Amino acid sequence: MPSTQKPMRYGHAEGHTDVCFDDTGSCIVTCGSDGDVRIWENLDDDDPKSISVGEKAFSCALKNGKLITAVSNNTVQIHTFPEGAPDGILTRFPMHVNHVTFSPDGTKVAAGASDFMIKVVEVADSSKQKTFRGHDAPVLSLSFDPKDVYLASASCDGSVRVWNIADQTCTTSWLLLQKCNDVINAKSICRLAWQPGTGKLLAVPVDKVVELFRRETWDSEFDLSDSLNVVVWSPCGRFLAAGSVNGNIVVWNVETQQCIERMRHEKKYSICGLAWHPKYKQIAYTDTEGNLGLLENIGDVEKPNDKVASAVAKDYNDLFDGDDDDYLNGDTIEPPSSPKTGDHEDDADDLIQPPGHGRRAVIDDDDDNSLDIGLIKASSGLLEKEDDGDDQTGGFAALPASSTQQPFYDGPMPTPRQKPFQSGSTPVHLMHRFMVWNSVGIIRCYNDEQDNAIDIEFHDTSVHHATHLPNSLSHTMADLSTEAILLACESTEELASKLHCIHFGSWDANKEWTVDMPKDEEIEAICLGQGWAACATTALLVRVFSVGGVQREIFSLPGPVVSMAGHGEQLMVVYHRGTGFDGDQCLGVQLLELGMKKRQILHGDPLSLTRKSYLVWVGFSAEGTPCYVDSEGIVRMLNRALGNTWIPVCNTREHCKGKYDHYWVVGIHENPQQLRCIPCKGARFPPTLPRPAVAILPFQLPYCQVATEKGQMEEQYWRSVVFHSHVDYLSKNGYEFDENAKNQAVKEQQELLMKLFALSCKLEREFRCVELADLMTHNVVNLAIKYASRSHRLNLAQRLSDMAVQKASELAAAQQQQEEEEEEDFPKHSNAGYSSSATEWGRLPGRNAQQDQEVEDAEETDACEEAEETPEVHRESKKNIFSEWTGSSPDNSCRLNKELSGSIFQAVPAVAAEKVHCVSSAVPQLSNVLDNMTKYSKKTSLSGSRAVNKQNPPVIKPLTPRPKTKQASAASFFQPRTPATNPVEKIVEEREEKAGNESQEAKVTEQENTENRRPKTGFQMWLEENRANILTDNPDLNEAEVIKEGMSRFRMLTSEERMVWTEKARGGRVSDLAEDKKRKRPPAEEEEVSKSQEQKPEDTNASKKSKPLDPSTNNRLSAFAFKQS
Amino acid sequence: MEPAEVEFLAEKELVTIVPNFSLDRIHLIGGDLGPFNPGLPVEVPVWLAINLKQRQKCRLIPPEWMDVGKLEEIRDQERKEDTFTPMPSPYYMELTKLLLNYASDNIPRADEIRTLVKDTWDTRMAKLRLSADSFVRQQEAHAKLDNLTLMEINTTGTFLTQALDHMYKLRTNLQPGESSHSQDFW
Repeated sequence: MPSTQKPMRYGHAEGHTDVCFDDTGSCIVTCGSDGDVRIWENLDDDDPKSISVGEKAFSCALKNGKLITAVSNNTVQIHTFPEGAPDGILTRFPMHVNHVTFSPDGTKVAAGASDFMIKVVEVADSSKQKTFRGHDAPVLSLSFDPKDVYLASASCDGSVRVWNIADQTCTTSWLLLQKCNDVINAKSICRLAWQPGTGKLLAVPVDKVVELFRRETWDSEFDLSDSLNVVVWSPCGRFLAAGSVNGNIVVWNVETQQCIERMRHEKKYSICGLAWHPKYKQIAYTDTEGNLGLLENIGDVEKPNDKVASAVAKDYNDLFDGDDDDYLNGDTIEPPSSPKTGDHEDDADDLIQPPGHGRRAVIDDDDDNSLDIGLIKASSGLLEKEDDGDDQTGGFAALPASSTQQPFYDGPMPTPRQKPFQSGSTPVHLMHRFMVWNSVGIIRCYNDEQDNAIDIEFHDTSVHHATHLPNSLSHTMADLSTEAILLACESTEELASKLHCIHFGSWDANKEWTVDMPKDEEIEAICLGQGWAACATTALLVRVFSVGGVQREIFSLPGPVVSMAGHGEQLMVVYHRGTGFDGDQCLGVQLLELGMKKRQILHGDPLSLTRKSYLVWVGFSAEGTPCYVDSEGIVRMLNRALGNTWIPVCNTREHCKGKYDHYWVVGIHENPQQLRCIPCKGARFPPTLPRPAVAILPFQLPYCQVATEKGQMEEQYWRSVVFHSHVDYLSKNGYEFDENAKNQAVKEQQELLMKLFALSCKLEREFRCVELADLMTHNVVNLAIKYASRSHRLNLAQRLSDMAVQKASELAAAQQQQEEEEEEDFPKHSNAGYSSSATEWGRLPGRNAQQDQEVEDAEETDACEEAEETPEVHRESKKNIFSEWTGSSPDNSCRLNKELSGSIFQAVPAVAAEKVHCVSSAVPQLSNVLDNMTKYSKKTSLSGSRAVNKQNPPVIKPLTPRPKTKQASAASFFQPRTPATNPVEKIVEEREEKAGNESQEAKVTEQENTENRRPKTGFQMWLEENRANILTDNPDLNEAEVIKEGMSRFRMLTSEERMVWTEKARGGRVSDLAEDKKRKRPPAEEEEVSKSQEQKPEDTNASKKSKPLDPSTNNRLSAFAFKQS
Repeated sequence: MEPAEVEFLAEKELVTIVPNFSLDRIHLIGGDLGPFNPGLPVEVPVWLAINLKQRQKCRLIPPEWMDVGKLEEIRDQERKEDTFTPMPSPYYMELTKLLLNYASDNIPRADEIRTLVKDTWDTRMAKLRLSADSFVRQQEAHAKLDNLTLMEINTTGTFLTQALDHMYKLRTNLQPGESSHSQDFW
């Protein structure tokens, strides 16, 4: 089995590095040319502890809680470990020190310097020094004999010497290396090493081989080959690892002389530091470019190899067993006679605890491996992915433990609870940190020698100017809104934990207030809303204050708080619901509204997090939808339309280039869809300097098969639905919102549905078509029916129309019911249906009417514009029930309804009763109409259409504008109307009349037909053709003037020309009629219209407005067409 | 062309700014700009960026190439090669001047950048003079110079072409066989 090689990560600035493990192996310690010593909890540790030891660090060694470093001011320093406090200077040299190393018992330190000298100093008493002179060039490397008798050294003069420590004499010397004048010119740094435990072999990396020298005889025992720089022994002394100049790492089993691992550095940088984990089969290594890497599960090949190699091993053991026995502690080398019996256990034992190895002093409890694992886990804070690896090795290490009588819990391990945090802040221990970065501004905190201050900067300087505050209370938490700054600090010995608010929005002179928490209560999280501030404390309380400093609500939390966020009157609190296991957090969330109507929306529901992740950001979108981000970069948003569930809307890690890159979220906007965040290279959070720039990520719901057109459109559709559900929420809670944006969104959604419909049609998936049509609004269903019948899918068209009927009747029932309810208590509606049309119904009637008014205005302008004349998609989606079933002339019924609802307000019971009657009578009519429709759609003959015409009672055109204006003024009593509408309507009527005069035939047809039939006269067709000309000639004409101008021009044409147009108009009308039937324009409507004379003007009005609808629907259909052959 | 005209052209280049005000999309002849959201980077032409910067309405994010490391590389490359190397922006000199004059507080190590760009410019100008010199000296008919920016062409263009005209005239007069007619011209 090959060992696993974790990808390299950035450790230090480019240059020479060194690496070692601490005594227990719980962390990796590296030093580099940037002068820092970093303590990594594991390879994925994004926030290693840094100790600055000097300008450059050449070498480090760690033992017994003392960290020895050789730094560029030619000293060897001691620091305490893991605190990193300076603990004095051990010794000084006139030149750079190239290597420092501890003696096995940790009492002495050997240092070799560029002044050719080697010193051995006692750690406890630095005055006790021994000097070794003899090298003729800078000393490269040193190694203590595990038995503390010899010291080996390599030097640039090419020699490797073994010194007797006691009398400082050179025992032996080999000329092995290439000579050079300085360390930087040396081909290799020749990190030699004694075999741990017995010290019977000295390994020296020489050019392309590791030479192994036998103790005492100092003969070259054998070589292991590769181009090498560094060698280290595994703690058990059976394995030897070597790193080479060209980036190879090779591991040998020394007894068998077999290479068991061969690893290649990703970028082939020279390996300059290697360290074995004191217990596990791990090697940490660093290169000359400052990167840190880790190899795991080294030597797992052992077992299969053993059988093959046992014979060799036996021979080999015999070779030096003779004089080895003296040095053995007894259990180092397995008895050659029984290679299999104790093999497994020995393996483990050897790797874990090398007998006679000095580390025993530190780990007092040899066998309590389980405890150690627990310790390691606990110390590694929030467990990262590496745990998997750890668990494996851990399991390996735990094997012998089971044979000892220690009770050992083998189940899932509880996860340490994540600490409380403020969203948009960087870790507290940093000297320069962001206390908060949100959509309002940035609060930075500087906490260095000269200054302890807080800088507040607003994105929009019109909110407030930038401010600088002294941070005398050492605040650690902050939040920022457009009206206040909220700060909080932990308690000190004298002072209680304080909440400090700077309410710059206040109009009085006193803008600040502070509140002391009760004794022993610490603030853990704070947030600001609109007009209130809140803090959560260690007493599991949430305290709400008004922004002016009045204490308001107070409530208990079920668990320790993790984070809080506020927006408007919403407060979201995330807390620990319980203990998570195996790296998972167990969080709950409460969402409250603190406005006039106080209520709880999320009652401590579990918060969905990605496995083994923790929460990193909690907040609201700019529109007020709760969102959060976990450490795996998944952004989730509350989907209010689906029973307050959480939907993942973005995976920021998908956008990251490197494995260690992250995006630090600062804000979420739903319209436009923007995820604002800061890209951080190789870290989870950005530094304060250089000032990071905000980037924008798109959202994407994790739908399947987004590579295909279908998946893509589905994703777009549902994303649009999710990201516009806030509109419903806002309207329900009486906030103002952008009507246009909503219309835009509905239009976009319906367009997507129509495209999907067309795609499914093309793929012959008719059932799917029906399913899609179910999501459409009524008018788009009409389009879909049309599309289906055009593409000769009559079965589909029939089903769709059935569905349309059903839908309409359902809605009618719902509406009726709703109106009945309304009469009793109208604000009690909350319809949280999933489809947008359904939610529309949940609106309050007052608002509904108001919207209709707005829609009308929009329509009227639309009618004038004539550019793309059917904004029905968004227009009709707003229509009430009457428009739903009358279909093509929505305005008529909509106004009718408006009047009726107006009359409800007036509480005229008679009218209300009449309305109910209308509704109930309408339903059977409706079905008739649609039956007709489907019949006609099958045989699109002219005679059929004629028959319909005959059924229709002739409608007298309202020539006098008076009743209309009267009616309009009556309507304006409830809703203000735009005055521009009426003149235009009048003109349109006039036009029709005149056009009628122009051609006799047209006139006849016109009178026969109802307005709804809207036949095109020759003049209209001519006008459509020539409108552009008129407009170019007289660009500043308005609609009415254009028509007038057009009429005068039309009159100037010869009679033949006019006839041509009239003929055309007649030809066109036939097809129009056919189309009309398909669009199931109910003739019933006319009957109803004729009932009341008052309503007629509207009727005509409506029909005229939707006149240019047909050509434009064609356009639209052609846009959707997926080229049917 | 005047240097001021070249600079004017350079002002159409886009740079990124972080506005500290809120403004909807603005519609200009040259195209739409914005919308401006406080704290959100947006691309605008240099002229607008400078205008906003002077009114302290924005913070400028220097172009990617305006970085000491990258410029050092460019300068070294320029010194190493005999021909002109491609510049990071066709208006590198103008942009450096403009941005460093008006927004040096938003550009880290502004002085070093100024020096580096000036060094690069000097190197290129020296090359340009050298090539002009060898062009004239060898009496070449045509030459091709790649990767020159407008400002650089502008510095020697007019002078060189005029000088060549004059020289041509002088040379043609020296040719034997020319009639006294041209002598009159002189």
